[in-house]
Amino acid sequence: MTARRRGRASRMACAAVLVLLPVLAVRHAASFPLYGDQTVLPAGTELNQDALTVPREQFRTEAAEGIPSYMVKLGDLAFNSPALLGGIARQAGMSCNTCHVAGASNPKFFIPGLSRHPGTFDTTGPLFNAKADNGVFDPVRIPSLRGARYLAPYGNDGRTASLRDFVRNVIVGEFAGPEPSPAILDALVAYIQDIDFLDNRRLGPGGRLVTTDEAQLRGQALFNKPFPNDPSLSCAICHVPFGAFLDHRQHDVGSGGLFKTPTLMNANFNAPYFHDGRFDSYEQVVGYFDRVFHLELSPQDTRDLVAYLNAIGDGWRPNVANRIGVQLQEISGFASVLATAIPAHDAETVALTVDTIDNELRELIEQFPDHRDPTIPGGQAERQRARSVLKGMLLNLSRIELAAAAGDFDRAAAEFQNYRYVASANVGAALRAAEPWSLFNPKIHDAHYDAIRQMQALQTAAKPDH
Amino acid sequence: MFQVALLCVALATAGSQGCHAAPFDEATERYRGYMIADMDRALAGSRQLRDYLNANDIAAAKEAWIKARIGWERSEVFTSAFIPELDDAIDAWPDAAAGFHGIEAKLFSANPGGFGDVLDMLVAHLTEADAQVRAMPLTPQGLLDGVTRLSFEVGDSKVDGGESRLSGTSLDDMRNNADGIELAYSILFAASLEGADPQLAVQIRDGIDKLKTILKVQDLRQVDPEDLQKTSEALVVAWQAAGPKLGLATPTLEGPVK
Repeated sequence: MTARRRGRASRMACAAVLVLLPVLAVRHAASFPLYGDQTVLPAGTELNQDALTVPREQFRTEAAEGIPSYMVKLGDLAFNSPALLGGIARQAGMSCNTCHVAGASNPKFFIPGLSRHPGTFDTTGPLFNAKADNGVFDPVRIPSLRGARYLAPYGNDGRTASLRDFVRNVIVGEFAGPEPSPAILDALVAYIQDIDFLDNRRLGPGGRLVTTDEAQLRGQALFNKPFPNDPSLSCAICHVPFGAFLDHRQHDVGSGGLFKTPTLMNANFNAPYFHDGRFDSYEQVVGYFDRVFHLELSPQDTRDLVAYLNAIGDGWRPNVANRIGVQLQEISGFASVLATAIPAHDAETVALTVDTIDNELRELIEQFPDHRDPTIPGGQAERQRARSVLKGMLLNLSRIELAAAAGDFDRAAAEFQNYRYVASANVGAALRAAEPWSLFNPKIHDAHYDAIRQMQALQTAAKPDH
Repeated sequence: MFQVALLCVALATAGSQGCHAAPFDEATERYRGYMIADMDRALAGSRQLRDYLNANDIAAAKEAWIKARIGWERSEVFTSAFIPELDDAIDAWPDAAAGFHGIEAKLFSANPGGFGDVLDMLVAHLTEADAQVRAMPLTPQGLLDGVTRLSFEVGDSKVDGGESRLSGTSLDDMRNNADGIELAYSILFAASLEGADPQLAVQIRDGIDKLKTILKVQDLRQVDPEDLQKTSEALVVAWQAAGPKLGLATPTLEGPVK
C-alpha cells in the first residue's frame, strides 16, 4: 500500500496512523514459535499464543450492567472460530482472535515474509489468498478493535465506510473464507461494536485531562497549539479530543499516502505506531512530526507531549492474567449460544459452536501436559483429572453435534444438559487443583517452552533427508 | 467366535460381567503376538540406530530412527495405557535430552552428535518394554482404554509440525497410530461388536477407514485438521458406546487402566 499510494506530504495534521487493519487473526494453533519444515505457517512464525496475560475486554453492554445479547455472543464465537476463514488460515487454526486478541491487537505477531515488524502483517500477501496478492510487500499494523464503533471509516486508509462490508472483505477477500451468512456477519458486527475502549480515569469531559501533572498539562497545551508554520493546524485538529481523538478523515502526513487518522484512546497498548508499524514509541512519533511539520519542539516539549499522549492513551487494567477462570468464562460464553441454537433446531450454529469450543478445549487440555512432559515435576494425578474432565466435556459436545446433525434435537438438548452439569459441577475444581502443575504456572510454563526452544535451537538448518 | 461373542453380549446385557473373558482371552493373546512384533521392530530399530551412530553413518541412523518409530507408534495402544512410566522415558516430549525425541533433536540437527548415553538408555528402555509386552497381563478393558485414548490423540492438531517435527515424520506417526487402532479393532473387538451391535461396528470401521483416508496425503500440511478432529472424536464417541456392548466398561481417556 505504501508503494502504490506514495504521495507528497500533506499540510494536514498530525495523524499518527493507527488504523483499523483489514486483518482478522490466527488462534490456538499449538506450540510456537514454529519450526521444522512441516508447518502450515512459515517456520519462525510467532503468534504469542503462549502469553501469560491477555488483553482485557470491556464490553459496552456489561458497562451498562446488561447481559450481552445472543448476537454479541454468537459474534464472539464466530470471531474465535477458524471455520470462518478459508485456505491456509483455516488449516492453521486461524481466527479473527489471533491477530485481535480479545479484540485488542497482537504486538508480538510475526509471520516471516508477511511481517516487517512484530505486530504487523501484509494483508495483501500471497499466503492466505493468492487472489488478494498485490505483489508488494506492504505490511500494515494490526490494530486494536477497542471502540471500533467510533472509528469509521475502516481500513488503515479508511476505504470502507461500513464495518459490516469491511469484515466481510476480510473473511472472503483476504482470508479466502466462504461467504459468511448474513446472520454471522451481523453477529460479528454486533460483537465488535460491543467492544469498548478501556476506561481512562485521567480523561474528563470533552477529552480534557483530569490531572495536576504539570508535564501532562504542558503537553495538552502543545497538543492544542497551532503549528508554527501553519496556524490552521495542530495535533488536536485531527485528533479531536472531544471526538475520541480522531476526525474520521484521511490525511497524508508524508508516511506514504493517505491514511485514516487513528484514535489515541488506549493507544498506549497499541504499539507499533503508524500505518506500517514503523515506530515503537511515542517519542519516535513525536520526533517524526517535529521533523516533517517543523514544529520546533524543544526536548522538554517532546517529553511533555509524550507525557500527554501517555495520559490520554491510558486505560484501566489493560491486561489480565491468562488464568483458568478467564478460559472457562470464555468457553461458558460460547456454550451459551447452544441454549438458543438447539431449541431453534439450528444445526449450522450448533456445529459452529461445537467446532469453536472444541478448539478451545483442546487448547486448554494442552495447558495440562500429559505424563510424558519431563519439564513438570509433579501433579500427575491432578493433571490427569483435569485432562479427563476436559475431554469429557469435549466428547459431550461431539455428541451434541452428532445429534443435531442427525436432526435429533431432543437428544442434543439432553446432551447439552449433561454438558452444563459437568461444566458447572466438576471442571473448575479439577482444573484449579491441577493449576500449580499446568502451563498456567509461570515457572512450569517457562520450563515447558524453554524445552521446546531448546529442541528448536538444535534443529538450526536441519533438513529431513529421507 | 461369532456365536460365542453373541452369547457373551447377551449375557453381559443381562448383567454378567465374566463371560467376555474367554473370547477376549484368545483375541488378546493373538493381539499380543502383533504387539511383540511391533515392539521387536522398535527395539531392533533402536539397536541399529545405535550401531549406525557408533559407525558415524548419519544417513543410515536416520533411517533406523524412523524404522524404530514405526514399531513404537503402532504399539501406542499398549504403551500409553499399560506402561506409562516407560512411555515417559521413551517418548518424552518436549525433551531435547532423552528418549526418541531427544535423539531426534540431535540426529536431525545441522551437526549431529553429543548423544552420550541416550542411545543406550533408549535401547534399555525398549528392551524393558519388549519384555513387558510379552509378560504383562493384557486386559480387554485396558486395551479398549488404550485404543480409545489413541483415537483421541490422533485428532490433535499438528499444524505446528507435530511432535516429530525435526525429522518431519509426524504424519508417519499418525498413520502408524491409525494402523495400530485398526489392528486392535480387527483382532480384539470387531467380531464381538459385529455380533452385539452391527451398526456400531460399521460406525467404528468407517471411522477408522476415514481416519486412514484423511492421512493419505503427501504432506502433514495437507491434512485437514477439522476433518481429522471430528473423525477422531466421532470414533471416540463410538468406542465409548462400544464398551458396554462388549460387556466392558465405558473406556476412559486418562488415568490408570484396569
